[in-house]
Amino acid sequence: MDTKQLWKNCLVEIEAGVSKANFSTWFKNTCILKEEIGIVYVGVPNEFVRDWLKNKYHKLITKTIADAYENMRAVEYIITKTEPNKQELPKTTETYINKELPLRDLYINPDDNLNPRYHFNSFIVGTFNELAYAASQAIIENPGTKYNPFFVYGGTGLGKTHLIQAIGNSIKEKYPNKKVHYLTLEKFATDFINSLQNNKANSFKEKYRRYDLLIIDDIQFIGKMEKIQEELFHTFNTFYENNKQIIFSSDKHPNYIPELADRLKSRFAAGMIVDVSEPEYESRLAILKVKLKELNVDLDQEIIEYVAESIQGNIRELEGSLNTIICQYRLKNKPLLVSEVKNLLKNNIKPKKNVAIKDVVKIVSNYYSLEEASIYEKTRKKEIVKARQIIMYLLREDFNVSYPLIGQKLGGKDHTTVIHSYLKIKNDLKNDPQLMQELEQIRIMFK
Amino acid sequence: MKIECGIEKIKNGILQVEKITGKNLTLPILSSILLIASGKSLKLRATNLSLGVEIEIPAKVEKEGIVAVSGTTLAGIFSNIFQNENIYLEEEGGNLLIKTKKSKIKLKGQTHDDFPTIPIVNGKTFEIESKKLVDGIKSVYYSSSLSDIKPEISSVYIYSNEDNLVFVSTDSFRLAEKKIKTKIVEEISGMLVPFKNIPEILRIFGDIQGVIKVCFNKNQISFSSDNVYLTSRIIDGVFPDYRQIIPKEFEVEAIILKQDLLNALKLSNIFSDKFNQINLLIKPKEKIFELSSQNNDIGENKTYLDAVLKGKDAVLGFNYKYFFDCFQSINTDSISIRLNQSSKPMVISGSSDNSFTYLIMPMNR
Repeated sequence: MDTKQLWKNCLVEIEAGVSKANFSTWFKNTCILKEEIGIVYVGVPNEFVRDWLKNKYHKLITKTIADAYENMRAVEYIITKTEPNKQELPKTTETYINKELPLRDLYINPDDNLNPRYHFNSFIVGTFNELAYAASQAIIENPGTKYNPFFVYGGTGLGKTHLIQAIGNSIKEKYPNKKVHYLTLEKFATDFINSLQNNKANSFKEKYRRYDLLIIDDIQFIGKMEKIQEELFHTFNTFYENNKQIIFSSDKHPNYIPELADRLKSRFAAGMIVDVSEPEYESRLAILKVKLKELNVDLDQEIIEYVAESIQGNIRELEGSLNTIICQYRLKNKPLLVSEVKNLLKNNIKPKKNVAIKDVVKIVSNYYSLEEASIYEKTRKKEIVKARQIIMYLLREDFNVSYPLIGQKLGGKDHTTVIHSYLKIKNDLKNDPQLMQELEQIRIMFK
Repeated sequence: MKIECGIEKIKNGILQVEKITGKNLTLPILSSILLIASGKSLKLRATNLSLGVEIEIPAKVEKEGIVAVSGTTLAGIFSNIFQNENIYLEEEGGNLLIKTKKSKIKLKGQTHDDFPTIPIVNGKTFEIESKKLVDGIKSVYYSSSLSDIKPEISSVYIYSNEDNLVFVSTDSFRLAEKKIKTKIVEEISGMLVPFKNIPEILRIFGDIQGVIKVCFNKNQISFSSDNVYLTSRIIDGVFPDYRQIIPKEFEVEAIILKQDLLNALKLSNIFSDKFNQINLLIKPKEKIFELSSQNNDIGENKTYLDAVLKGKDAVLGFNYKYFFDCFQSINTDSISIRLNQSSKPMVISGSSDNSFTYLIMPMNR
């Protein structure tokens, strides 16, 4: 339904029914904000107008809208921010000479720290994050009881912050009385340390405990902070006991956060732990389209597809590449060719990893202080088997070498042996943080 | 409607609410004052759709009723009645009859049905002494931006911080902050009262003693005392994060007697150019605190003041008007000026008073 057109039609009707003075006083700057299940929300500039429309013109408005829009059930009035007449600042010489205070606009609400930009409207759901999305919707329905705590983890730039802030924003909208607060662990820590310095540990506790929903981002850094872990533990307990929702995000599963106290680990696991993984092609395409719409830019379908295909993994990088293209597009002021885009993005695209199998063997055997040659030998010594299996896993997982080729290069093993090794390591990784760490360290050496 | 009441009381009430009646508005009824007689009082109501006020005056009501009459006319009548006795107001056929012992006036009424309602605000409430509220607003509001382009700084920003209620205004060239100690039960995260409504709020509550109840939500704020109810729209916006621009460390500090500085500034202003520029030169080692200004058409002037100085040498230019404005908010005898080299703002406050802070940006030349 086109609310703009609807209101325009209604205004014409209303104008005929009231005096000109009344019309221009009360109906100027009004609009229809939205329509939801038959309720039409009329936006008004201030409370004076709201009261008056409600008391004096409600019948007229209801009738006029009902005539024009048959599905209408009720009319509500909401005060909206009227856009000030945007005009360029008159450049006086005074403003030129007198420096301005470097005041920055606060875009983020200082009360809850939430960035209004992060909303579910702009959140793309795909197979890579649908579980996290579904869980967050359940939380919005029943905050505090359904999945408490809610723990989101995943690699950098995959939309964790977007997701958890969107939960905050939605809860704020849905339950205006609930106090929502978003912060990073770093902020939590500095706050805590400050309160200790000023001997105000109690006010710190009170400050956090009066919120109804606490969202803590980047919790993975908590590892080394023992005292903060303890404080978080107590805060957590208070929230949990009062059925207040608490949400964490991290780039690792709680089990892999180093030096995390067991009591916190088990508490994180008590609620819901979900991961967001990397978006697949279709989701990347959808993300790009949403971004373009937000920025109000039109790009060739071919270009969008090319970007979605070539930039894999991280959503942040995807956005970055898109921004580069848009910047170039605005600069040139004419549609870009795919070849130009390819040229622009050539640095953003990670080169396909090509590595000699020999190098992998060398690095891994070095890491485990083994003779390089021992890997190729037919031996079942435990430490060598482990290294060999890790080599196979890496070759398959990171470098996409085929099973038979891996087998052939590692001393003529059968491809089923390779598959077995691959699956074994993959399985072990789930339960063995030690192995995970080793693997990460090895991976760093490839870079 | 038929009532009798003391002339002084009704006169004050009318002169107060008349200022708020809408002028130059498309709706003529807004330029009138609504008189409501009911119970044991007469209520005077006026609004311009940004601000609404209602003042209650004790009166002997013989017959209840409502009438709306032109505000300007009513104010004109009452500012010219000087007898100190009772006055009789009576509504007759939509018109208002005003009778005293020596005069009889008939005033044409307007259809009071069209008179807008004044919103009753529901939201957080707190109480504050009228004097403190007025002091807080008065100390800062002159720094607000006059232009409508950025509504969030064309306002007085009020928020609570521990035991203080903090008032802030800025027009981005200077900034004033006043902290008022008061008991606030509930935390106030911040509200923006439009600058345009401030003078009226000050005028109405300036004479009122006692406690004012303040009630506010996202869109509206109300102030009420025993017999006055005033409500204003508030700006739905976010005040800039000003705290981070107040410098914490300073290279130069000076303490000067307020009266000395004021006199020197006035003198310097005679010679300032069309940008009101005055230059300040501080040399702590040589104990020099110099104010100078020059104008090619008039001449130039240098004034030296006795001051307690600390830190490095400094030179900067600033706008005389901005400096002059803040004197009304400083109650101590001496003023402390703290600054850093070049482009950082100059910070002015009372020398032993932390409650008021004033920032001025230097000029570029």
